Amino acid sequence: MKLYSLSVHYKGSTKANLLKAAYDLSSFSFFQRSSVQEFMTFTSALIVERTSQGTRASVKEQEYLCHVYVRNDNLGGVVIADTEYPQRVCFTLLEKVSKTFSKWTVLVKRRHTPSSDHLFPPQNPREADAMTKVQAELDETKIILHNTMESLLERGEKLDDLVAKSEHLGNQSKAFYKTARKQNSCCEIM
Amino acid sequence: MAESEEEVDVLVQRVVKDISNAFKRHPSIDEIGFIQCPEARYNRSPIVLLENKLGVESWCVKFLLPYVHNKLLLYRQRKHWLDREALVDITCTLLLLNPDFTTAWNVRKELLQCGALSPERDLYLGKLTLTKFPKSPETWIHRRWVLQQILNRFPAVGHHKILLRREAEVEVADAEITQHANDHLAQIILQEMMVCADAASRYPSNYNAWSHRIWVLRHMAQGNSKVFHDELSSLRLWVSMHVSDHSGFHYRQFLLKELITDLNLGPELWSNSGPQKQASSSPDSSYLVDQLFYQEMEFCSDLILSFPGHEALWSHRRHVFYLWHQWKEHHRDCSSSRDSQLKHLSELEDQGRSCLSRHGHGSVLMEVDLVSLEDPEEEKKLRGVLPPGVLNLPAEHLFVSSLLDSCCSHEQRSLALAYRKWLDMVIGVQS
Repeated sequence: MKLYSLSVHYKGSTKANLLKAAYDLSSFSFFQRSSVQEFMTFTSALIVERTSQGTRASVKEQEYLCHVYVRNDNLGGVVIADTEYPQRVCFTLLEKVSKTFSKWTVLVKRRHTPSSDHLFPPQNPREADAMTKVQAELDETKIILHNTMESLLERGEKLDDLVAKSEHLGNQSKAFYKTARKQNSCCEIM
Repeated sequence: MAESEEEVDVLVQRVVKDISNAFKRHPSIDEIGFIQCPEARYNRSPIVLLENKLGVESWCVKFLLPYVHNKLLLYRQRKHWLDREALVDITCTLLLLNPDFTTAWNVRKELLQCGALSPERDLYLGKLTLTKFPKSPETWIHRRWVLQQILNRFPAVGHHKILLRREAEVEVADAEITQHANDHLAQIILQEMMVCADAASRYPSNYNAWSHRIWVLRHMAQGNSKVFHDELSSLRLWVSMHVSDHSGFHYRQFLLKELITDLNLGPELWSNSGPQKQASSSPDSSYLVDQLFYQEMEFCSDLILSFPGHEALWSHRRHVFYLWHQWKEHHRDCSSSRDSQLKHLSELEDQGRSCLSRHGHGSVLMEVDLVSLEDPEEEKKLRGVLPPGVLNLPAEHLFVSSLLDSCCSHEQRSLALAYRKWLDMVIGVQS
């Protein structure tokens, strides 16, 4: 039951701008962590770009679930978790983070630097749940479910192309993506 | 790029030496991994050491692996001689890249047997390969062989109770040795539990890791119910954070079975053959078993309510209830009398926690077949901490129906209905 990343973006007219992010990659193999982080940033930004204002959605990709909430004022939050982490708790968190972030931008205008120490929620979802009281409202909201990342893309768009063009991904990550796509078996050496 | 045979030879020798040196200089390496790196850079070694993690750059693997693989096979075919040190280095390199290469482990078995290698080295190597390949069957198999070698060196090992009895009989010097052996054994068990837990965290439902865990307890902790109790309680947090891990819950079922066997009768309780022995357990051990089952079911209910829609939780519930049902059938006469219930009530009040009050819309009322108490304070305490004997078929049906009545997800609904069907078809028919 893991939370891997929590990021806040501004949904611009052409692309999403990453404002702040926090990650917990301790469960990944040490040498993969930097690539994993880049991919999570890439995926989060892409999801925010392809999600309309005022929408909540969950996108399933392999063993990950990406939960997104884009507000009407274009502030978008994405949580990437595994399939065990309760969906409801993720949306509760996104709600809270969006509100906190709005307060932050006010602080920044007043020249205070907010710390992201409290941005990352506790790994135990029961603690995270206790943090907020918006649960009742959320039970009624609609959450769109996408079974793959591909369903977010436009007709004819390919994920491979987006990966190759992305500025979030370094060369090593792009190379990693290419080899991972080729080897889809569990008997791989790497 | 085409590498000549000599160049490959030199490169591989260098890499094997680099790996060996890395281990010598940094005995606290705790993880291995591959670094995606399509080309060699600046004639640097592909072995990278960072924060106690050993990395191998991917470009060298296509040279390294076939070369060391062939060398070992040639040695095995007696076409090429390798001295002991070279064998240790080569097998180590091989296994870090491919731990399922049985021949390499077998060569190490030979080295171990002739004293050129200590069993601890192999346990360490196994632990490292499991960080990258947590399922690797050959690693686990070899690990059991090594542990067996270690066990063979112990006096009357694995039989904790025998060791305890012996302690009383032997002289001080021998008692010290036995104590030392016990401590060593406890240490080994602890280390194995940690290795298994780590591997289980790296791969979901890691059957091989959990099976190994069971093997260790069966061979090194027979009759030592404290270990089983400790495992049961220390794993609560782990399974709560891995609610889809079927193997983790299966392990809990194993622990329960062992504890019950230990508290009560012999293994014939779980066999399917003919009429069983008459229950010879005391009311106390019967109460302890009741309590074990009750706590496990309560824990399971808590998880089901907190994390809806996970089949592993419902499957666990079935197993635990079935075990309970079998055990109960076996002890019809020993079922809780009113006296023993009341006597144990005060003990229970110290035990407890409850999942009932925690969930607003999911509060589950369970039957209380005790005398009704007029004191509301007592009743409140009772709602929180229920006595054993409340685990029964009607209570289970009540759990399912109150769950279905409250708003629940589609998956949770179908799992609950399936459970109810199972109760009717399997338990209902038998009782």
